[in-house]
Amino acid sequence: MPSAARKSQERDRASMEPPPADDYAKERYGVLPLIQSQEKSDRVLVRINDLTVEKADEVVWVRGRIHTSRAKGKQCFLVLRQQQFNVQALVAVGDHASKQMVKFAANINKESIVDVEGVVRKVHQKIGGCTQQDVELHVQRIYVISLAEPRLPLQLDDAVRAEVEGEEEGRATVNQDTRLDNRVIDLRTCTSQAVFHLQSGICQLFRETLIRRGFVEIQTPKIISAPSEGGANVFTVSYFKSSAYLAQSPQLYKQMCICADFEKVFCIGPVFRAEDSNTHRHLTEFVGLDIEMAFNYHYHEVVDEIADTLVQIFKGLQERFQTEILTVNKQFPCEPFKFLEPTLRLEYREALAMLREAGVEMGDEDDLSTPNEKLLGRLVKEKYDTDFYILDKYPLAVRPFYTMPDPGNPKNSNSYDMFMRGEEILSGAQRIHDPQLLTERAQHHGVDLEKIKAYIDSFRFGAPPHAGGGIGLERVTMLYLGLSNVRQTSMFPRDPKRLTP
Amino acid sequence: MPMYKVRSFHGAPGAVRAEQLPTCMYRLQNLHRGPAAAAPPHQEEVDASLLALESRQEEILKRLYELKTAVDGLSKMIQTPDADFDVTNIIQADEYAPLTANAADLDSMLGKDYGALKDIVINANPSQPPLSLLVLHSLLCERYKILSAVHTHSSVKCVPENLLKCFGEQTRKQSRHEYQLGFTLIWKNVPKPQMKFSIQTMCPIEGEGNIARFLFSLFGQKHNAVTSTLIDSWVDTAIFQLKEGSNKEKAAVLRSMNTTLGKTSWLGGNELTVADIVAWCALQQTSSSNAVPANVQKWMKSCENLAPFNSALKLLK
Repeated sequence: MPSAARKSQERDRASMEPPPADDYAKERYGVLPLIQSQEKSDRVLVRINDLTVEKADEVVWVRGRIHTSRAKGKQCFLVLRQQQFNVQALVAVGDHASKQMVKFAANINKESIVDVEGVVRKVHQKIGGCTQQDVELHVQRIYVISLAEPRLPLQLDDAVRAEVEGEEEGRATVNQDTRLDNRVIDLRTCTSQAVFHLQSGICQLFRETLIRRGFVEIQTPKIISAPSEGGANVFTVSYFKSSAYLAQSPQLYKQMCICADFEKVFCIGPVFRAEDSNTHRHLTEFVGLDIEMAFNYHYHEVVDEIADTLVQIFKGLQERFQTEILTVNKQFPCEPFKFLEPTLRLEYREALAMLREAGVEMGDEDDLSTPNEKLLGRLVKEKYDTDFYILDKYPLAVRPFYTMPDPGNPKNSNSYDMFMRGEEILSGAQRIHDPQLLTERAQHHGVDLEKIKAYIDSFRFGAPPHAGGGIGLERVTMLYLGLSNVRQTSMFPRDPKRLTP
Repeated sequence: MPMYKVRSFHGAPGAVRAEQLPTCMYRLQNLHRGPAAAAPPHQEEVDASLLALESRQEEILKRLYELKTAVDGLSKMIQTPDADFDVTNIIQADEYAPLTANAADLDSMLGKDYGALKDIVINANPSQPPLSLLVLHSLLCERYKILSAVHTHSSVKCVPENLLKCFGEQTRKQSRHEYQLGFTLIWKNVPKPQMKFSIQTMCPIEGEGNIARFLFSLFGQKHNAVTSTLIDSWVDTAIFQLKEGSNKEKAAVLRSMNTTLGKTSWLGGNELTVADIVAWCALQQTSSSNAVPANVQKWMKSCENLAPFNSALKLLK
């Protein structure tokens, strides 16, 4: 171990004074030596969220962080935290604790990890500030396992404070950059814990639902030789003596799997976009949930499958993550997410009609601008009361070259976007699976045929009709919870201005 | 630092010049720029904008006046009903109008459209299915090309299978905009059925009776004022007394229905109207111990002989 690190650790430990010799409780507290896995202990540690009235009067061992501590004469109140749960603990001078022990407990730095032995006691008045409201812990022993530095870069209480106006206005909150610079501490807050537990739930539900429906999870390469969608927003990396690109989407590989007869595939993995845009919803690296599926006769088979998968995710979140949703709502209040089953599917021309009725002027073949997208979301919510809907049949002109044109109207295409709370989360289409048509469309868009030769060639040996789409995990989490910035739902976000931590 | 203007206390420069000077003095040109050089342009500037404003006001007033005279002229042409206006005149005048519908023009009834599907959205609680609206839906399907859809809102946990399939199997061969009308039923946790059509030009319509009136108006049936009022009143009676009223009220309604149906075959006269639909559905959905009088029974039979009523009846079971 480097000596500097060891020294600093020793200094920290030395700052907690060893118990004086004349203390009758000196065996009951202190700083434990560094755990180097010296021994296996039989001690059973109880989870803090398991501390309920059923455990009343039992003696338990608990490991947690010192969330807050407050000394008052011969007593010291601690709040012990474990993930998003916390419990009040009391050290009071008595049979088990001496004056020195109370002083020791009160002086442990916030965020330090401690092992505590105590009796679970039922309380008569609910403890407002804790998740375990009906019990408290009467401490008999307390040992420091890992000491935190005395000065924290941000206070957890400030980081979870809801931005309220009026009386409490002006109380400290933590700004985004401070949070992201000290992400490890920011992630400890109950709000962050809830957000990322829920995000893990989204992935889990996505997998569960798709596997139940006969999808196969695939892994696709992220270092690729040619940009998959156009060439503008792609990261170049050096690759031995030449250069390569970071994948903007697993699209090509998903489609190749379809051509290889996997029929229904999905993948969860990082996606890279070299877009220099600093908005609330763009990241340069994000997690893509991608689906591709062969269909029989109509691409709506795929649209329905994807939409239903998302509905299953929303339902699952409602059932399994109610606590997390409520925790996040405490800091960032928002209306619960509403949806319809089966999902509402509107056509682009209907959206245009709604927008025109609201006084927006735009051409038949224009793409939706961000404000119009938001407005449309509000209009749809007003009429159908749903936060999730599909917009079908986009104009061909605003979609990539591999999008299948609409057989009924050459200006439209078999493509769709899905929206949550008025923001796009998924973009997808029926893909052209005929090499001849694909070549024509590519030429029409002025795409260099040489560069996409491999792509076109993969359809030369018989390809089933197929469609698919890609979802941004961070955006889904953000919009489901009604948060305002995608950086809140990316654990270690990457944007044009941030590469660390 | 802001400064304020002081009016010059001696006379205008012209006046000074006019004075007789002693011969030992000669005239010098004014060193300062005379107030005549600086102030007047400023004043003129103000004047110009003021004038423009004034002329604009004049113009607006003129246009308003013209508008007023135009409206006055129009109002002279149209008779305004007075308190002592004779109602019989209206009825007589109306009786010449054809009673049955001329081919209903949806566009004129539902307003300007932008070449997209006109979608009627109805929110209803699955615990109290709005039977009359379902009957009206089937009737509308006979008349128009309708795209029907059933959705479940996330505010309700489970909806019985038969309610999810209340529109039967849908065959969607055409694209959405080729349908004349959309009918979207959303099972949702609402206290009263609610209808939304155009959110820009129309407020939501609440209550089963009111929605039924709107849907029925799409058939373009025309009645004279008295019949329309009667039909309206039957709809209210059906909803408030037959469906939500006490046993005593129900019995009274049944009696008066019996009297009416003794004279005419339908509540509103010689043809089926929204009154029959709403009243029949209200009767189906009330668990009343009252005996149904003969004429009402006969009327119920003739309702049930119509396919839309029949399919609604299956939904209840």
